[in-house]
Amino acid sequence: MIRWLARRLVLSLITLWLLATIVFVIANVLPNDVGRTIAGPFAPQETVDAINERLGTNDPLPEQYLRAMRNLVTFDFGNSFQNRQPVLPAIVGAVGRSGLLAAYALLLTIPIAILAGLFAGRRRDRSADRAIVLAGVTLSSIPEFVIGTFLVVVVGVQLRLLPVIARPPENANIITFLSFLAMPALAMAIVYFGYIARMTRAGTIEVLESDYIRTATMKGLTTSQTMRRHVLRNALVPTVAVIGVQIGYLFGGIIGVEKIFNYNGMGQLMLMAAQRKDIPMLTAGVIVIGIVYMLATLTADLIIAWMNPRARLESGR
Amino acid sequence: MDFSRLDLVRRSATPLELDLVESFAQGRITRRQVVKRAAIIGLSLPAVSMVIAACSQGAPSAAPSASGGEPSASASASASAATGGSIKVAIQRPVQVDPVAMQDLGGYGVVAQCFEFLATLSKDGSDIEPGLAESWEPNADGSVWTFKLRQGVKWQDGKDFTADDVVATMGRLVAAGNSGLKGVIDDKSTVATDPATVTFNLLSPNGNFPYLVSVFNAQTVITPKDYAAGTTLDAMPNGTGAWKLESFDTATGATYSRNDAWWGGPTPLDTLEFLFFDETGPMVTAYQGGQVDCIVQFDVLSGEALIDDPNTNVIATRAALHRQIWMRVDEGQFAKKEVRQALAYSLDRDAMIQQLFNGRADLGNDHVIAPIYPYFDDSVPQRTRDIEKAKSLLGGQTITATLHAGQLLEIPDLAVLIQSNAREAGFNLELAVESLDTFYGAQWCPAEPADPPCSGAAELGIVDYGHRATPDVYLNAALKTKGIWNSSQYSSKPFDDAFAEFQAAIGVEAQKAACTKLETILNEDVPIAVPYFYNYLAGSSKKYQGIYSSALGQMFFSAASQVA
Repeated sequence: MIRWLARRLVLSLITLWLLATIVFVIANVLPNDVGRTIAGPFAPQETVDAINERLGTNDPLPEQYLRAMRNLVTFDFGNSFQNRQPVLPAIVGAVGRSGLLAAYALLLTIPIAILAGLFAGRRRDRSADRAIVLAGVTLSSIPEFVIGTFLVVVVGVQLRLLPVIARPPENANIITFLSFLAMPALAMAIVYFGYIARMTRAGTIEVLESDYIRTATMKGLTTSQTMRRHVLRNALVPTVAVIGVQIGYLFGGIIGVEKIFNYNGMGQLMLMAAQRKDIPMLTAGVIVIGIVYMLATLTADLIIAWMNPRARLESGR
Repeated sequence: MDFSRLDLVRRSATPLELDLVESFAQGRITRRQVVKRAAIIGLSLPAVSMVIAACSQGAPSAAPSASGGEPSASASASASAATGGSIKVAIQRPVQVDPVAMQDLGGYGVVAQCFEFLATLSKDGSDIEPGLAESWEPNADGSVWTFKLRQGVKWQDGKDFTADDVVATMGRLVAAGNSGLKGVIDDKSTVATDPATVTFNLLSPNGNFPYLVSVFNAQTVITPKDYAAGTTLDAMPNGTGAWKLESFDTATGATYSRNDAWWGGPTPLDTLEFLFFDETGPMVTAYQGGQVDCIVQFDVLSGEALIDDPNTNVIATRAALHRQIWMRVDEGQFAKKEVRQALAYSLDRDAMIQQLFNGRADLGNDHVIAPIYPYFDDSVPQRTRDIEKAKSLLGGQTITATLHAGQLLEIPDLAVLIQSNAREAGFNLELAVESLDTFYGAQWCPAEPADPPCSGAAELGIVDYGHRATPDVYLNAALKTKGIWNSSQYSSKPFDDAFAEFQAAIGVEAQKAACTKLETILNEDVPIAVPYFYNYLAGSSKKYQGIYSSALGQMFFSAASQVA
């Protein structure tokens, strides 16, 4: 297990290094005058040259690359080209906000979706199963920003039940805080309900058809005992894997929801950085999202290994 | 006509003032125009009152207000005011808050809370009034302007505001090539005559100079003399204004607290909170959901519900805001004047105004002299949609081109309308709508090639222009030969000469004569098509009063209060 973990960590570090190298190549291959981007289109050329000199953008590429990799190790991503402030605090802030929203959405959806999937899997082809499958397919077909818009108009503006923009006031208590994030979290939870419920249902059906479940039943275990001891941990393996991958997406990919609710997560930050050619911000964001993906999938694998002893044994080889 | 009163003013008037008095006495300009113009050239209010009273038929006129031009429905402080409290304002996310380099309304609005202008916005939002300068006056021909600075003003770091700050600010603006001041002053023009007086020795006479150092030239906020070029407001919070920047996060917003040392006295409100938005839709829903109290700018399409909302004060200002559809005149398919005229004739301007603004706009006539300007000449025939004429100008050929536009307010919808209108005349336009950041640098005015400026611009595109109290910026930057925003690469000696004539004009009549030439030349050459000048819309909850706004995204809260 320790060997497996060590191997995963090394692979993760290599992946991060590759990611950083790709971002560096793209940033330097694309035509871009950093000094001009900072100084603006009307600044004199001397001003532009001075900025490029200060930032070292005229240095040979290998030198710039080594400097970038050295800074990466110390998480020194430099200053934003746009507002000339350090990049790291902005990234940390955005990651924190995205993490909060992702956690809230998953907390809303995971328990309900798993229960629904288990319920449907046990009642395969019956009306309850069909209803849950239909709901899941329908809900996951609707983009989260469409659901978000509906929530904004009906729940936020017309009924005024919840705040429209996800901007909790400073020093808000936990209830107020949760109320401000409720609608964007709900928009995401509704969409992910479908994915998770259907994945759980499929896993449940597969496990229920296996020999060891038949053995457990014939041994005299009750249905709930069988479900708890044998079905649950085996049926949820693919579900946990999917959730692990989706966490990474939730951090950087929900730009639609962030825009509708004016929530400044990683999606908005990355979009702005890309639009404004803010290379330091973009580089830092890509690296951080990469780290999040790796941590999420690593955690998912660990959970799977804990749930499924065979996975532990196979990973040990 | 009471000639005895009139003569009192005539005897002591400068040539500039005399021209104004005579124009009014002969009925060539309105009372509103004389009040507006008087404020600019430094004619005192008592003198203006006397002129108006002398020229009135019956009862003496009331003292003129400082307003002029087209008044806005600003939220007037009529109800009893409560002190204290805060206000939340929805504003476009600023691209940057460098006072010298900022180009967007978000930046203008954020910076204008802390820094101030020599000439600030009048309370009705339509004109200028003394700000950091208490008064100003020109010499006889308008080539030298002397500004008396307000005394007792302090920077938020405790230092005194002096003429040296103004000189340093102007130096930075000249070095940065500010669009309003380019060709008007150079690095030697601004002189600190004494700590409380600044003299501007213009490169050529300019009767509108105070506007060029006012709120309507948004970058001319006065910054401290040690404010190095490239400094942003959040990196070095300071200012002489009513509000102190407490926090700034480009991702979320900005907060301000009252500047207790402000020369204008304590503000009724304690704090401001600006929330940044990328699009108008979320701004409007945030307002409708009660999470913001004020919207700095919205458009008719996304904010229609606000216009009819009884709980909202809509600040509607007839303005010179417009869109320019530039066409490259130096190369490509639009180099021929007939092709440009054909596109202009294909536009259904009335339908555009109705569909995009619900009628809240003035017709444009392919020039930049907006109808709100006192020197606008409406004798130039209004171009209307004429598909047959457009087709004959094209001579049966089909023009295929890409129409570039930035993602801002109604511009994408305008692009669709242009595409649809122009198709009937023989234009096949493909639309390319991009984010503003990309559009400005890639299509409208790329940095390379640098000489002439904007020579890398796309063949055809739509760009936004904010409101200016005079058309100098539009004429100078966008249309003059080698103008810094001249995307069409227009170069016309008759136009340049007419512009020089306009700048040197020292009276309304002379300005009007020059404008007639400018309008005629631009309408004929069509380097840009201008379909409309639209109204600026902003809004605030009726729970607040005393808010006023320019048409350039600068909303002022120094007099704002909650309704008791």
